Amino acid sequence: MIAFEDHFQISNAQRTKILELALSHGGDFSEIYAEYRVYSFINMEEDIIKETAESISLGLGVRVISGDKTGYGYTNDLSIESIGKAALTAAAIADSEKSVSIPVFLETLPPEDRYPLIRPVHQASLQEKIELVRRAYLSCQKSDPRIKKVKVLFQDHAQYVSIVNSEGCEAEDARPQVKLVCTAVAEKNGRREFGFSGGGGRVGLEYFGQTFPPERIGRDAAEEALLLLEAVEAPAGEMPVVLAPGHAGVLVHEAVGHLLEADFNRKKTSIFWDKLGKKVGSPRLTIYDDPTRPSFRGSYNIDDEGTPPSRTLLIDRGVVHSFLQDRLSARLMGRPLTGHGRRQDYSCIPIPRMSNTYVDGGQDDPEDILKSVAKGIYAEKFEGGQVEDSGKFTFSISAGYLIEEGRLTAPIKQATLIGTNIDILQKIERVGADLTFGLQTGTCGKEGQEVPVTDGCPTIKISRMTVGGQS
Amino acid sequence: MIEKPKSPSLLELAERVVRLGKEYGADEVEATVSDGREFSVDVRQGQVENLVEAGSRGLGFKVIKDMKTAYAASSDLNPETVRRLVRNAVSRAALGSRDECAGLPPLSSEKVDIPSLCLYDPGVRELEAARKIKLAMETERIALEDKRITNSHGASFITNEVTTVLAGSNGFLGSYDQTFCSLSVGLQAGETDEKVEDYWVSVDRFFKNLESPETVARKAVERTVRQIHPRKIRTQTVPVIFEPAMTDWLVGFLFACISAVAVYQKTTFLAGRLGERIGNEKITVIDDGLMPGKLGSRPFDSEGVPCRKTTVFERGVLRRFLSNTYAGRKLRLPTTGNSEGTGVSPNNFYLQPGPVSPQEIIASTERGLVLTRTIGHGLNPVTGDLSRGALGLWVEGGEIAYPVSEVTIAGNLEQILSQVEMVGNDLEFRSPVCGPTIKIGALTVAGE
Repeated sequence: MIAFEDHFQISNAQRTKILELALSHGGDFSEIYAEYRVYSFINMEEDIIKETAESISLGLGVRVISGDKTGYGYTNDLSIESIGKAALTAAAIADSEKSVSIPVFLETLPPEDRYPLIRPVHQASLQEKIELVRRAYLSCQKSDPRIKKVKVLFQDHAQYVSIVNSEGCEAEDARPQVKLVCTAVAEKNGRREFGFSGGGGRVGLEYFGQTFPPERIGRDAAEEALLLLEAVEAPAGEMPVVLAPGHAGVLVHEAVGHLLEADFNRKKTSIFWDKLGKKVGSPRLTIYDDPTRPSFRGSYNIDDEGTPPSRTLLIDRGVVHSFLQDRLSARLMGRPLTGHGRRQDYSCIPIPRMSNTYVDGGQDDPEDILKSVAKGIYAEKFEGGQVEDSGKFTFSISAGYLIEEGRLTAPIKQATLIGTNIDILQKIERVGADLTFGLQTGTCGKEGQEVPVTDGCPTIKISRMTVGGQS
Repeated sequence: MIEKPKSPSLLELAERVVRLGKEYGADEVEATVSDGREFSVDVRQGQVENLVEAGSRGLGFKVIKDMKTAYAASSDLNPETVRRLVRNAVSRAALGSRDECAGLPPLSSEKVDIPSLCLYDPGVRELEAARKIKLAMETERIALEDKRITNSHGASFITNEVTTVLAGSNGFLGSYDQTFCSLSVGLQAGETDEKVEDYWVSVDRFFKNLESPETVARKAVERTVRQIHPRKIRTQTVPVIFEPAMTDWLVGFLFACISAVAVYQKTTFLAGRLGERIGNEKITVIDDGLMPGKLGSRPFDSEGVPCRKTTVFERGVLRRFLSNTYAGRKLRLPTTGNSEGTGVSPNNFYLQPGPVSPQEIIASTERGLVLTRTIGHGLNPVTGDLSRGALGLWVEGGEIAYPVSEVTIAGNLEQILSQVEMVGNDLEFRSPVCGPTIKIGALTVAGE
């Protein structure tokens, strides 16, 4: 747990005034979101600490909702004058005579702290962080003479948010975040390949002790690059695909998660908008989004609208159970809040977002799943993916294997998987009991806003999928 | 290089940071201040959905002491915060490593005439909110008149006005103002389980050059409805025609591979290959920061180095990497005025157009795929391999036959550049990284 520090110095009387000013043109709801973030960054490459950086982000946004319209103004000058200007900018979205009185603020207290840490990273000395970076760097570099280039990045921040709204809700959160990542380039006979690994989350320095020592991050990156030196072209065409446990959660994030975000369904642009309570996939498939997982990169005590989040069941044995909600969509759709209103920073309007999304573990033995495939692809690591509201999605395999006669054989190079979500959901044939989460390094982009997320899944077999390789 | 010091406080802040850095013992200091004013309106189904208006300032700087560099940035411009950040940066630099290539560039005697670059349109600032909202409304309304369109992602009108100030302990002091505006609409066609979607956006520095609501709506509708009832195709190797937006994407990947930063870091397959033939003779690629009114133009880069025109590929031969001062020193190559932050960025980076029209390119193709969109990631600069999900139009007998979806394309950038058979005449500079329609002799298209 890190302590909340008030960098805003705005009294309750002033906050009430600003919320009233924001509603001076009518409007149903007003809100102040104040944010202070302090970052540090270290980059090691070519055997030297090449960059260190410290940055501060301070700003405040005022939002007004009127019906289904949103007005937003923000400023990084926290003088009352500038904040008042932002409030008036936001106020202009409304046009009615209605007047609202602001109740006394009542603080929302989250039921428990999701960041159970011992040694806050943002308070550690730069020397101590540099030491972690060096350890990852050296273990990667020394793991094999074919490793020709190593790069290690360390980023951490502490984010303080303070939210009040015209309904009298007051909430604050102090969120730590850290990420240590290593990239490696291996070279053999003129061929170069790239490997990546990393770790982190809303954790303290102790995380890099036994849970995830920097040496492991360095070695994992080297191993991936070395493996790819031996990789063959991926095949092209339709075939069975087995998703490895962990990283393949990105497929669920792309293929299903985004289209269950409430805004796309409220606007009926998502293929799921009329499918609440309907069966869309295999009965083996259950999907959750859970912002409450302790220490996870995508977790939070309150969302960016001040709502305490809850684990949300999205797909229940193949049936669409609920959408990920923010305040605006929940109100317009008449659904309960789920605590998924997130924003990149104070300059952005909150929208429904995923946090930690995963496929629940099933019944099957992962070994048996592999044995059931005569010829196919084992997709192990991913660069990322993308989805359209129409349900078409892709995701890019950065490392995987051929499956031949139920066994993993040659490693394969970069390939793309493509499909339409409902089609793929129905083709989920087996779900393993081995739920695993991917790296604590992921970021998801939507409408230009980036937020930290994680994904997870057990071993999953998809009976047929289009694989785009070169051979 | 100061155009109009109309925000003296920004200049003062940048100069103050340089002075403070020197006072705390830095050998060199470089400070950038930016001041932006943003307006955006999203409308959907005839209603305003979001309206955002704001101004924000930011400071970024680096200090160098004993050839060791430290960086800092802040949106909190309180003088005490700034002073503390400068002091911290100088003491943090001592913990870094000595780097012989660190340091500011020497002050250049070249000067760029900023007004001739046409970066700023006073008309953008003067536009009233009601007018901007109306333009977005009009665009969506016209698009929705087409009965084949079944839903809208909404239309947006955005304006940005940005002032950039740069001061360096090498004596550089520069400032310029620029404007951007854009009008866009995103649409869906088809029924729930067979939806297709696309969008169109017009972006320009000058309001008068922006496409009209009619044009933006028409293009978005055309691009969306042409995908209705797509078919799957068999896996095959065929000629692939890239529409300009797709060439933009390919040229963007090429930029990642000719960045001098990627070269010295050995993260590109083009490292060490200056002077070699990479593409065929149809490939001439240029970076030019001085094109009047174009989106990627600027008088100087983030280190104060004057921008210029650089030929990167000349008839298929790799001539230059695009560089900042640091990567230039590493590689013993000149900087090209492409510095951005700690890396490099393109100015106007484009594939030179050829003589034929896009219609002629399609007519020349017996069987093949017109690539209209790609989705996903799948670019690897280390190997040049690319693999992406794709949508397109199937060509049969020199004519568009039907839309195609759920395919992927895969290939290698070097092979693609050596197999460019035709280059179109339709280069429009719609983005800073761009190219015309091109036809690739053969690519693997994976389907059923």
